Amino acid sequence: MLMNTSLKEWKGKIRPDGPGKVTGGIKYLTDLTFPNMLYGKILRSSEPHAEIVSISTDLARKLPGVRAVVTYKDVPGLNGYGIIFPDQPVLCKDKVRYVGDALAAVAADTEEIAEKALGLIEVNYRRLPVIDSTEKALEPGAPLLHPDGNILHRAGYSIGNVEDGFQKSFVIIEETYDVPRQMHAYMETEGGVIVPEPGGKITVYAGTQHGFKDRFQLSRILNIPEKDIRIVSSPMGGSFGGKDELNIQPYGALLALAANCPVKIHQSRQESVKAGLKRHPMKITVKTGADKNGKILAHKVKIIADTGAYATLGPAILDFAVEHVSGPYKIPNMETEGLSVFTNNGVAGEFRGFGGNQITFALEGQMDRLAEKLQIDYLEFRRLNLREAEDPGPLGQRIAPTNGATHVLEAIQKSFFKRADLRNEKGDLNERWKARGTGAAITMHGGGLGAGRMDPAGGRLSFTKDGKIAAAFGFEECGQGLLSVIETILLEEFNCLDKDISIVIGDTDLVPVSGSSTASRATSMVWHSLQKMKDSFRSQMIDLAELATGTPANRMEMGPGGIWLKDAQQSGEAYLSFADLASALVQDRSISVQTSFDFPVSPDATVAGSHFLYAFAAVIVEVEVDILTGRVKVTGMEQAVSAGPVVSPMGYRGQIEGGGAMALGYTLMEHSIIEKGIYLNDNFDTYLIPTIFDVPFEMITEAVEELYEGDEFGPRGVGEIGTVAVAPAIAQAIYNATGCWINKLPVSPELILEKVSFMEGDKWM
Amino acid sequence: MDVKKVIMATPSPQPVKIELELEVNGFHRQLTVAPAARLVDLLREDLELTGTKFSCEVGRCGTCAVHMDNKLVNSCLVMAYQANGTSICTIEGLAERSLDPIQSAFLEEGGFQCGYCTPGMIMAVKALLNYHANPTEEQIKEGLSGNLCRCTGYGGIIRAVQRAIKNLNENEIEGAVGWKK
Ligand code: FES
Ligand code: FES
Repeated sequence: MLMNTSLKEWKGKIRPDGPGKVTGGIKYLTDLTFPNMLYGKILRSSEPHAEIVSISTDLARKLPGVRAVVTYKDVPGLNGYGIIFPDQPVLCKDKVRYVGDALAAVAADTEEIAEKALGLIEVNYRRLPVIDSTEKALEPGAPLLHPDGNILHRAGYSIGNVEDGFQKSFVIIEETYDVPRQMHAYMETEGGVIVPEPGGKITVYAGTQHGFKDRFQLSRILNIPEKDIRIVSSPMGGSFGGKDELNIQPYGALLALAANCPVKIHQSRQESVKAGLKRHPMKITVKTGADKNGKILAHKVKIIADTGAYATLGPAILDFAVEHVSGPYKIPNMETEGLSVFTNNGVAGEFRGFGGNQITFALEGQMDRLAEKLQIDYLEFRRLNLREAEDPGPLGQRIAPTNGATHVLEAIQKSFFKRADLRNEKGDLNERWKARGTGAAITMHGGGLGAGRMDPAGGRLSFTKDGKIAAAFGFEECGQGLLSVIETILLEEFNCLDKDISIVIGDTDLVPVSGSSTASRATSMVWHSLQKMKDSFRSQMIDLAELATGTPANRMEMGPGGIWLKDAQQSGEAYLSFADLASALVQDRSISVQTSFDFPVSPDATVAGSHFLYAFAAVIVEVEVDILTGRVKVTGMEQAVSAGPVVSPMGYRGQIEGGGAMALGYTLMEHSIIEKGIYLNDNFDTYLIPTIFDVPFEMITEAVEELYEGDEFGPRGVGEIGTVAVAPAIAQAIYNATGCWINKLPVSPELILEKVSFMEGDKWM
Repeated sequence: MDVKKVIMATPSPQPVKIELELEVNGFHRQLTVAPAARLVDLLREDLELTGTKFSCEVGRCGTCAVHMDNKLVNSCLVMAYQANGTSICTIEGLAERSLDPIQSAFLEEGGFQCGYCTPGMIMAVKALLNYHANPTEEQIKEGLSGNLCRCTGYGGIIRAVQRAIKNLNENEIEGAVGWKK
């Protein structure tokens, strides 16, 4: 289905959070204020690597208007956090390992006073050598950043015999791919308000992608039971993985408890850049061999990821990259080795694509180079090596059979030919210093957290006293349109009206455990939950209607506004309205269905984190390269996506286009530069993300909705897939335009100029 | 090497305040604010109009965009005293009895996701369409180039602008034959 948003399609499908968003009426958590609210600020380290000699807060405490100052001494529980293991100090005691490390936090009557108080805190450091590259971290005798050394995680996978494969190969390509540190750049920086409640409880109003996980981590830090902590986590002004880990919550909570007042913290962009997560920079060295006919025989990969100062989800991201080394291709001999290495370069962590983007750039780059050497069309070369529906997954595990790879490749192949016609028709290629090229790439991307990881899901449906079908999920609305997804599925399943339903998400006091709003899992898990709950819910509703009216249950069904008679002419009004049905809910009768289950995993996975459900995408782009300035402009982008049925067309298209633009930025302009442990570009004047000028004016998204016969897993999420294969497609297009191979991102104009003037390609002379 | 920060505790001067008068969304307002306050602070803090956002505070993102005397400005770059005597329109002032056609177009076309850029973006579209009733592609890009959106990739926003133009033109025709909205 080609996406369009005709009037018919959007009617009744306006996002539930839409009106609040277009009128400015919706309150983000950083917009909240409470009576007696104080403002909090966090003192971050000025040193990327140092011992702390002393911290003195005396002057700060004396400043009029300061209500609380906290340091490591004031952490009642565990002074550490981290989703996998808590190696990041909440407040540093003896050592700082990056410029975002927190040393103290202040709450004051105004933000200005808090800011001023930070300036009065005296920290004496003893500088340590800055480990500013993975090479330095791996040198023998390098200073150790953590007790267990500088390697956070190793991962690997091998099958067959690569050396043997190389020996049989007709062509071999060796290349190192270098990909940068990307910033999430959500428009709403981290923030919120933490409110102390009677009885030692607290409510945390702050964006996160997993409220229950925040509750668990905060409970450990604050040493108060989880049940006394309430996390309200929606709505958010964007996250993309960046707000998955704790950010300001522990500081807000410590200050709120110390001052016994609500405390608001809203980080400035500079603070956010310093403290926040980034996408892992990676160096990926690859050697790939293929035979004369274009069959890939061997693939050897070494990944070195710069994970920065602390773990967060670094290990899982490396595992993901290792899993996706061979993408949708069948390769008989493989050897992959991955290292995630600690440095003093910020903290790298979870980010949309989760290691897939980096590895796909390398893999698809190899595919292009091999195809070129073998003189085979690059799409045809991919087809020759493509997985088939029932092939095992990339780690040899059983996966849900899928033809996604073939579908998206075919879709993009068709459009490639169409575009070739257009290009010929236009025939405007005579602007002398403009070079144009087309490129394409494909990818396969796992959903869910993977085998061997806690990945619970669930939801609740209930019928309220005021006659609403209430759905509750422990997911968050980061902007992705989850509310719309829940609403659409409810309307479809129960054939009711949007006014008949109410949706609660992102509030740990009100919702069941659903797992995280990450890993492209929320849409999929909402659908699964409702499949599990709908029959029981429906029959309880009809039973109640029978009780209320005496009409036999089998003559009734749910419909718009209430319960309808099946055989009666549908005369425009429900037989029994939901409001009337609700009045039959006497004291001891209630309707509530709850489900909890796990994200589907492979039955025979041997490698932790390997996936069972995958989505696929193919991207085709057109670029225009200015040979005089080296500037690359993407003039066209089309993505074909295979992720099962589309739930909400507008949301789906938005995810793919938005992901595409974000990946365009990754490819052509975004680089969060750290030198000697210090961030150089700390705001949008120096860290550039795509503007409306940088993206194609029209992008096309094609959804291949077909699932393999017997596939019962419904819609897969599309939150990440649109970001994964864009970079290699652009790189290929640049090659086709200029003859220059790209192996380093972002592609800088200087790089193109340098390459063109030394003419790796001889097109211009 | 030891690093030591030398701190001098200076007594904080008595905070001075300045008086302002301005019109916000059609209402006359009198305010007393800190001299260093910016228009964005005044709107968000003093008037609790939190529809106007901020994200960079250096004039690069447009999430804080409002109209001042009918011109699009980044309210993080306008000092409160510069707003004295002006007329300000924020996102909250756009919808009168019903949504502005631009707002409806954003709803209909999915011109937002997280919505954090949306108030500024809609104010920018409003300014664009005030200036050019039928903007060209270049004019649309020019008009919105100061507003960053991280979620949509601008696709939905561009479609929303195109629909808004259509909606507005249709309304005009309706108006011409005396129809009520
Ligand atoms: S906050 Fe004003 S332009 Fe970014
Ligand atoms: S909708 Fe999120 S930044 Fe534009």
